[in-house]
Amino acid sequence: MSNETTSAVQNGLPPNGSDPQASAAYTLTGVTKTYQKGRRTIFALRDVNLTIPEGEWLAVQGRTGHGKTTLLQVLGGLDQPDSGSVVFGDRDLSQLRETQVTKIRATSIGFIFQTFNLVATLSAAENVEAALIPLGVTSAKRRQLVTAALDSVGLADRARHLPSELSGGQQQRVAIARALVKEPRVLLADEPTGNLDQDTRDDIIGLLEKLWRDRQLTLVLVTHDSSVARRAQRVAIMIKGQLKMADRL
Amino acid sequence: MFFLTYLRRELRQRMRQAIVIAAGLGLGIGLVITVTALSSGVRTAEGKVLGSLYGVGTDITVTTPAKPASGANGSGGFGGGPTPKPYVQHTDILTSPTQGPIASSEVAAISRLHDVAAASGGLTLTEIKATLPADNQPPTGAFQPPVLLSVVGAPVGRGALGPLTAAHRKSGREFTAADASADVAVLDSGYATAHHLAVGSVVTVARRPFTVIGIVTQPQGSSPPSIYIPLARAQALANLGAGKVNTVYVEAASAAAVGKVSREISRQMPSATVTNSGTLAKSVAGSLKTTSKLATTFGTWLAVLALLAAFAVASLLTLAAVARRIREFGTLKALGWRSSRISIQVIGETIAMGIAGAALGVAIGFTGALLASKAAPSLTATVQTYNASKGGVGGQLGRAGGIFNGTIGGPVTTFANPNATHVVPVPFSAPITGGAIVLAVALSLGGALVAGSFGGWQVTRLRPAEALASAG
Repeated sequence: MSNETTSAVQNGLPPNGSDPQASAAYTLTGVTKTYQKGRRTIFALRDVNLTIPEGEWLAVQGRTGHGKTTLLQVLGGLDQPDSGSVVFGDRDLSQLRETQVTKIRATSIGFIFQTFNLVATLSAAENVEAALIPLGVTSAKRRQLVTAALDSVGLADRARHLPSELSGGQQQRVAIARALVKEPRVLLADEPTGNLDQDTRDDIIGLLEKLWRDRQLTLVLVTHDSSVARRAQRVAIMIKGQLKMADRL
Repeated sequence: MFFLTYLRRELRQRMRQAIVIAAGLGLGIGLVITVTALSSGVRTAEGKVLGSLYGVGTDITVTTPAKPASGANGSGGFGGGPTPKPYVQHTDILTSPTQGPIASSEVAAISRLHDVAAASGGLTLTEIKATLPADNQPPTGAFQPPVLLSVVGAPVGRGALGPLTAAHRKSGREFTAADASADVAVLDSGYATAHHLAVGSVVTVARRPFTVIGIVTQPQGSSPPSIYIPLARAQALANLGAGKVNTVYVEAASAAAVGKVSREISRQMPSATVTNSGTLAKSVAGSLKTTSKLATTFGTWLAVLALLAAFAVASLLTLAAVARRIREFGTLKALGWRSSRISIQVIGETIAMGIAGAALGVAIGFTGALLASKAAPSLTATVQTYNASKGGVGGQLGRAGGIFNGTIGGPVTTFANPNATHVVPVPFSAPITGGAIVLAVALSLGGALVAGSFGGWQVTRLRPAEALASAG
């Protein structure tokens, strides 16, 4: 992390220069999500209140099973809370129909997964292209955007390779290109370095940080890794479904 | 196009499963095509047999049973027969032993029915030439069995509906309107050959000489009469009143109207025997009938079961494939793909397998039909005699009383009607029609659509969060 960035975080300003008073990307109010496990009710999220400003990098830490991934899925509209509101921009995802949430995901939210989740039968370029299909982009435009996206993650020369022909780090780069090719407002990353060795992890985090800064993204990154979390502007901890900001610990 | 790229890559990746689904559908479709071809071949063969029994252009025949005679008077006509005398009798009568009379007014009434294109009457007669022993005595060693000859009185005039409608002229000429009262005859080629007769020869019918003007052949499968004479001459020689016939030939306005017209005639003539292709088909027996039953029952069920099995296998494998790809579909949903778009992708994949299955099925079907045609044993049809009457001539003679009813009634029955049924070889082939191929392709695509729809339905039920959390 650069000195400028460290300084910005310490001052509460996003390192990419966005205004901390900017409008909120997310506002979560009283979000609760439960699961039934036999006769027991498990609180994956318990009365979560959180505001994520536009352009912020928020890291979410916590032990396995304490609700990190559920929080990310609620933020991405992949799951609905039992109660509370999840306002994305000016729309409450918890009140929208599935098709409306799907449309928001298609246009404004990018996902990165721990296991990359690339379609095994499609090449790197086709995997990236898949993110543009719901947007109705023309074939020529798609090719252009895909080439640029792969170039931005340093994989322009691997466009025709299948995922099985790429290393773990390369696969995650393809996944990042896929998440960013549609130029979303928000990038949600679930343990993006969990399956990578340390060198590759640093590469990927460096890449994410660069993209976050260059594109003024809102980045929510779930990680076990404290060294990764420390590079974020804010760190939140999930404990038994409850969210606590790290500076309050 | 991304849809096709994705589809192609998936099918290539899951080649083995795609082959299993396509092969399953192909097998089912192939069976359907083969069974359809067999059924079609059997129907065609049946049609040939029935057509020959019927005559081309005749859809319905109407007859009435002969009334039991209290005793024979030797004068011929309907149901008549010779009466025993105390001396040897030489008889030559033209009679209608099995069929009762039908008035010309009834023929006219039939022709006026709705959906009847044409109707005409004919006389189906038997000439009996016999030497009868005196006083009902048992036949001596020198006894000569009666000679029976089938004679038909046919309407004259070019193109007249009747027993000669289906006949093919081999030599000479047909009847014309000018022949109505003439002693002229047309012979069946089999009879003419057996008796060395030709155009210009003279044959005797009820002791009257008739000049042969033509030789005809009837379609294979029929049991044609030996001699055709003008209807009016037949009526006169059989001592029938003017206008009396015993067979009405009816042509329906359309094939669809045959049943309706048959019912109308039955209502109009309750005692009549109304025969159409449906009722006639029931009288056909033999290996053709057995094959027909096999094709229409066992074959159809086999094809249906095979199809259902193929559909079930395709559906189950598709569901299994979707289950294995849950995380992939969850990822697509996370990327913003609508459920319907993913479902279309899944259905597209199964449709592609359906197309492959259809192609395979057509190939299997063609091979099956070809093998069936090559390997099929020669088929035969056992059909009733020309006029399709129950009991035959001999039985009616016996029933008529007199000498035939007594000492030689039984043997005459056997002798007099040796062709009550006869066996006809039927050429068989299993043709594949364009309609069968279209049906097969439609079934295959339908099956694939069903399988794909199951998969698509599973996709729409998929919640993205659960899908992404799956181990797949």
